[in-house]
Amino acid sequence: MQGIECKKAPFLKQPYNFLTYNYLFNMKKKFLLLLLAASTYSIASKAQDTVKTTQDAPLVLYGSVDTYYKDDFSGHANIPTSFASDNNSVSIGMIDLGLKKTVGNASFVGEMSFGPRNDQSIPTAGYHIQNLYVSYAFSPKFSATAGYMSTFIGYEVISPTGNFNYSTSYLFTNGPFQNAGLKFTYAFSDKVSLMAGIFNDEWNVYTSQHDVSTFGAQLTITPVKNWTAYLNVATGPTSGTEFDLTTAYQITSAFKLGLNAATYSTTHYSAGFSGVALYPQIAVSKAVTLGLREEYFKSDNGTALSTYAPVGPLPGGSVLASTLTANIKAGPLTLIPEVRLDGINKQQYSSFTNSSGDPTKSASQFVLAVVYGF
Amino acid sequence: MCVLFAKVASAQKDLLAFNEQNKYMYYQVVSQPGLVTDTLKDRALYFLEQAYPKNTVKKGETSGNYTGTGKFLIVTGITAAKHVEGEVNYTYYIECKDQKYRYWLTDFVFTPYKVDRYGNSVPQPGIDIPLENGTAKLDKKQVDSYLDQIGTYSKAFGEKLKYYILKPAALPKDTKKKVISTKDW
Repeated sequence: MQGIECKKAPFLKQPYNFLTYNYLFNMKKKFLLLLLAASTYSIASKAQDTVKTTQDAPLVLYGSVDTYYKDDFSGHANIPTSFASDNNSVSIGMIDLGLKKTVGNASFVGEMSFGPRNDQSIPTAGYHIQNLYVSYAFSPKFSATAGYMSTFIGYEVISPTGNFNYSTSYLFTNGPFQNAGLKFTYAFSDKVSLMAGIFNDEWNVYTSQHDVSTFGAQLTITPVKNWTAYLNVATGPTSGTEFDLTTAYQITSAFKLGLNAATYSTTHYSAGFSGVALYPQIAVSKAVTLGLREEYFKSDNGTALSTYAPVGPLPGGSVLASTLTANIKAGPLTLIPEVRLDGINKQQYSSFTNSSGDPTKSASQFVLAVVYGF
Repeated sequence: MCVLFAKVASAQKDLLAFNEQNKYMYYQVVSQPGLVTDTLKDRALYFLEQAYPKNTVKKGETSGNYTGTGKFLIVTGITAAKHVEGEVNYTYYIECKDQKYRYWLTDFVFTPYKVDRYGNSVPQPGIDIPLENGTAKLDKKQVDSYLDQIGTYSKAFGEKLKYYILKPAALPKDTKKKVISTKDW
């Protein structure tokens, strides 16, 4: 009877006695049996999957966790781009958990995240949804996807496993993070495909404000092997218009060059931004890759009536941001040391302050991040 | 028991050998008494057309023998948390003679996958790692695991081929419609 009571109560709060010991011992036995059964099934299913040629993929779990330390050389946080926002603190990014499954022509992706990086990247912090969509492939060339999806615009992404640099660019921070809508993709050939869709009137919203009125399209071109270019547009009466070019070329097995260029304008009063970022990366050993992000970003003047101001230099100003990053890999774990220097063209457009709190044109920081992807 | 399973699983790597070009190869010669070259070739062709989806095994033919390319996924992790690490592309050859046939799989090249912004596992373009030089770019543990999966896949490829060779029922059925005339009786 006491034993049953012991099981009913939360065992961690129980005093450690003989009954608790028995309970833990039984649990341990059950756990080991479960583990044995799972590993047996796993080994058996591994061989079967390869024979089946994975037509119906198993339920796949993927994701990442990340943590970082940042030291802005002024002693306080200055650089306003997304994530890695805490200064002189060992802080967390997020735990990101995705589930995906394909059966026949139908598939779904559901991706949840928790942590400060989640809160800074989705419209409603309590929702925790990064991706939630379903897809149907009408043929190997034509598919439809509906739901809440990571944006098709830009070089960088929310997930830390998808970026080389840990800090993010101004183009990323000011562009869309997600677009909810319905899109169709048609592959004309292995080298050319087109996506077109209709999305919610605003970026980064789970629910539209008024209607579903943003048109988005992406033309994907592979001019030569290992070089892919994406020409993107998102335009709507509420969201404004962004044109974007994102391209990456793996020139050799060790050297990759990426480029992102974009221009955005609001629907009214001519405000917006434009910029370009270059991403050369070179693998110096099988574990270490070095990369530079060199970004130029300009905030448009707008008009006196304009209320829009991008994150970064004040309207009319521009910034040159140089980020030197290393990726040091140990299995699924990546250590990311990074040094960054941002310089604004004129002090009047800068919101940076030095260690004394005086306005300054430049800011610099060091980040050490660890990302585990699975 | 776990140790036993681990040993059985890791033994698949030993099915591979090196060929004259110092490349990994899975090679088998199978004696098939009672079947002539043409029959074997028909059944091998039907195997290539039916056994695998077209985008995973591509059919080719040179001077009466079959050769082509194929690919399969390298998956790690336990059932509920499987992770697609990449894909292996390979070249296969099937040759038939009276009473016997042989086949081999070689040129195993690993391309790592990454998870894209939509959660899809996609190949990393431009990174092709021949498994013979695998340890230059991958951990030895990874290479061993991939070779195990290549061994398992190659063995299954051979078993599937044998099934199609042995089983005439696997060949396309005569689809001539059976019509009964009620006029003449």
